[in-house]
Amino acid sequence: MNYETVIGIEIHCELKTATKMFSPAPVTFAKRPNSCVNEIDLAHPGTLPSLNKNAVKQAIKACAVLNLEIDPLIRFDRKNYYYPDLAKGYQITQQFHPIGKNGHVSIPTSNGEKIVRINRLHMEEDTAKQFHYNTETWIDYNRAGTPLVEIVSEPDMRNAEEAVAYVEKLRSILYYLGVSDVKMEEGSLRCDINISLRPVGSEAYGVKTEIKNLNSLNNIKVAIEAEIKRQSELLDKGDAVEQATRRYDDVAKTTILMRKKEGSVDYKYFPEPNIPPIRLRKEWVDEIIATLPELPEARKERYLSIGLSEYDATVLTQNKDLSDFYDEILKHTDQTKIAANWCISELPAVLDTQHLASAKNKLTPKNLADMINGIKAGAISSKQAKDVLPHLIQGENFEDVVNRLGLKQVSDTGELLRVIVETLDEQAQSVVDFHNGKDRALGFLVGQVMKKTKGQANPALTSTLITEELMKRKP
Amino acid sequence: MMNFAHYTNQKNPTQAVNQAVEAAKKANAKLNAVVTLVDPGEQLSQLEKYAGGKMFGIPIVLKDNVNTRGILTTAGSRILGNYVPQYDATIAEKLREAGAVVIAKSSLDEFGMGGSNLSAATGPVYNPYDLTRMSGGSSGGSAVLVASGVVPFAIGSDTGDSVRKPASYNGIVGYKPTYGRISRYGIIPYASSLDHVAFFTRNVTDAAIALEVLSGRDDRDMTSLQLPVEDYASALNPSLKGKRIGILTNVLKAITNPDIQAHFATLVANLKEQGATIVDIEMNQDLLSAILPTYYIIANAEATANHSNLDGLRFGVQKEGKEVDEVMSASRTAGFGKQIRKRFVIGSYALFVENQDKLFRKAQKVRRLIVEDLKNALSGIDGLIAPASAGVAPKLTDTSMDQLSSTYLIAENYMVMGNFSGYPSVTLPLGYCDGLPVGVNLTCKLYDEQTTLNLALAIEQATGLADQIKEVA
Repeated sequence: MNYETVIGIEIHCELKTATKMFSPAPVTFAKRPNSCVNEIDLAHPGTLPSLNKNAVKQAIKACAVLNLEIDPLIRFDRKNYYYPDLAKGYQITQQFHPIGKNGHVSIPTSNGEKIVRINRLHMEEDTAKQFHYNTETWIDYNRAGTPLVEIVSEPDMRNAEEAVAYVEKLRSILYYLGVSDVKMEEGSLRCDINISLRPVGSEAYGVKTEIKNLNSLNNIKVAIEAEIKRQSELLDKGDAVEQATRRYDDVAKTTILMRKKEGSVDYKYFPEPNIPPIRLRKEWVDEIIATLPELPEARKERYLSIGLSEYDATVLTQNKDLSDFYDEILKHTDQTKIAANWCISELPAVLDTQHLASAKNKLTPKNLADMINGIKAGAISSKQAKDVLPHLIQGENFEDVVNRLGLKQVSDTGELLRVIVETLDEQAQSVVDFHNGKDRALGFLVGQVMKKTKGQANPALTSTLITEELMKRKP
Repeated sequence: MMNFAHYTNQKNPTQAVNQAVEAAKKANAKLNAVVTLVDPGEQLSQLEKYAGGKMFGIPIVLKDNVNTRGILTTAGSRILGNYVPQYDATIAEKLREAGAVVIAKSSLDEFGMGGSNLSAATGPVYNPYDLTRMSGGSSGGSAVLVASGVVPFAIGSDTGDSVRKPASYNGIVGYKPTYGRISRYGIIPYASSLDHVAFFTRNVTDAAIALEVLSGRDDRDMTSLQLPVEDYASALNPSLKGKRIGILTNVLKAITNPDIQAHFATLVANLKEQGATIVDIEMNQDLLSAILPTYYIIANAEATANHSNLDGLRFGVQKEGKEVDEVMSASRTAGFGKQIRKRFVIGSYALFVENQDKLFRKAQKVRRLIVEDLKNALSGIDGLIAPASAGVAPKLTDTSMDQLSSTYLIAENYMVMGNFSGYPSVTLPLGYCDGLPVGVNLTCKLYDEQTTLNLALAIEQATGLADQIKEVA
């Protein structure tokens, strides 16, 4: 039978804040276990939550760009369950009154842009991490209390491509906003995919399964495809799909049952008594929205407007760090296209452009801009520039490198002509060859001039001057 | 007079504190009020830093649900039998900075859940007026240590009259301020929306001074009020000229004890004589009868969540188990008393999704109605008074009270209105019945601590029962 796939996605996204959702302990990744915790994160008796204002600010930003209605009254609830990774025995979340609801986002698909509705965005806190070894369980509470938002889509996606596009779109938006690191591999962005099939033309939803722990876009794609295959085979055989939580197994290339959902758990939600309802000041919310950073789409438009190609604009926008770097370069040069070329083609060859801010990279936008201006002015050749770049990455100034390596390009016509005349005198056969129509002779002669000038001759100028000189020597 | 002035006038705080320690040891042999005696040596060595503090050199007691860094804090429960906090409660810091010296952590009903102090892990606390009687609870240890003259001040907590009831049974002042006036950070909770830090003194002036020390916004407690600390003590004014005092007639009608009726009538006559206008106030009888069940549902629902952190994994007494789940479950089973487990079951039941509408949400609705009724009752008056209990402290073995009678439902439980509403409320000595103290309760409008203290001072002057002490030989 022909089935239509129905996909809804829940995204848990760790917010980029200095401290935790309800405690002043620092938020970090991969620090020594249990070093970033205080009595609140460990739920010591008598501790109380204090809401992180910056986390609320981040959530408001996300709500604004996802077109969600913002509830001006912030309220929290307790979700009660016992689990070793949940120190308080309850999670503080927003069950009854999420900060954002009824939003939407547009995603690119092979059939053009598509609107995916977003049901809600709510704030909550992350749990600790458990590690199971043989007979022991270890718990690292560093993650406990990290601010999270959960973004719940409506079941509007119809295939793996759309699901991936949705996650990619949200990742990009949240990253541009500075709301989250969105690192799927580190777990700062986690996706749960709800997926069901129904006969084409049917309105009723089929039984859904939830796939958890997907840590890359590719995994989302392959997991959905595997689950579609598994469910459709079941349905074809006349078997029922069982409502359950599953995970994708890389080796088996299929989804594996984690737990069945026989009657959902009663979390006994009730309003959090330690956090009174907080009325958001309208001016505060308005100011946050008014000062939102530039989003990927706007940035791409801006790049097109300054003359970049569709390809260059797209590639740059996809890598925010690199694109930010590019924008910094443009503060020191008007050579938009040359700068884009260097960012897109040259830098990735020598740098990890996903991590431009790393300690190893001392390349400043100003230095790269100086170099680009140097190329444009003919002070050095593009070829020389490639030799200069590694030195800039080491932290040297452009001027210093050029001087130290003696890389000044010879663009002095008189000086060049002297060398050219000398070269043509020596290479009489090449002059004859040129006039006999052998084009290669010109390249050979330019090469000879380059050799004599130790590569410092301006190639374009050299070529022009040689041609002029050759014409003078026409037999 | 054994009040704050008495201690601060002694030029040697070390001597006063050491005397209190000795008195505590002696009294405790009879009262069983102390969980942990605190060696005051270190505090005394640092005391000069706090010279000029409002409670400088005053020996005090903290209820054992107040976290004290480095000092055992059990909340009266076996599961915290080994818990030594890493941090101080905000009020522990404030009291230290005011120059107060903690000499003991006092007994309480397990996690403050009780009114008898019989559920304390360390056993019952005995009433200094009659050792065969209860201290009352849950702040029983603190109450009797003040009443017996050991210390002039003790911290308690009041979730459902847990300071104001024992104050009545022990002939002292029990003050519960407006919700949020005193930070709860570091107080091991019972039920967050009802928990108040409250305290015992032997006179109203000391209560006013103590409130100045304890009050104030604390960013670590989001329910803490953003109001400035006022100079309650220097503004004290007992004049009743132009004051309107309401008598809660529902309570008086429910009380059968003629001695209490007589003491109360004398007080009312006296207040009238001093210029107060006395007004009869009748609240909705059905709502008042619903206070106890409403309280039970809300308090236990919050409690079951509040105490889910007690799993033996990160602190507290851990029992063995093969899996983590087993450790949690074994630790909780062994760590909690029977009463507590019963309350968790009730609280949990009220929160089940199928029960929330008819239990938890309904209780919250009734709570709002009761608060609304109290607000209306207070709208034309300055304060509302009634006897603080229907009788004297019960015998330790007494279980005779009919829990469906209005004597019990209303007269013994109406003060929980103060917890529902967060309104300031204070119990003071009213008189004695066969040598056993009974108290009068006063409740005033939200935030109005000054009127509460002023009217309390007027009542204290009317009864002449400031600074009552019952030493135990």
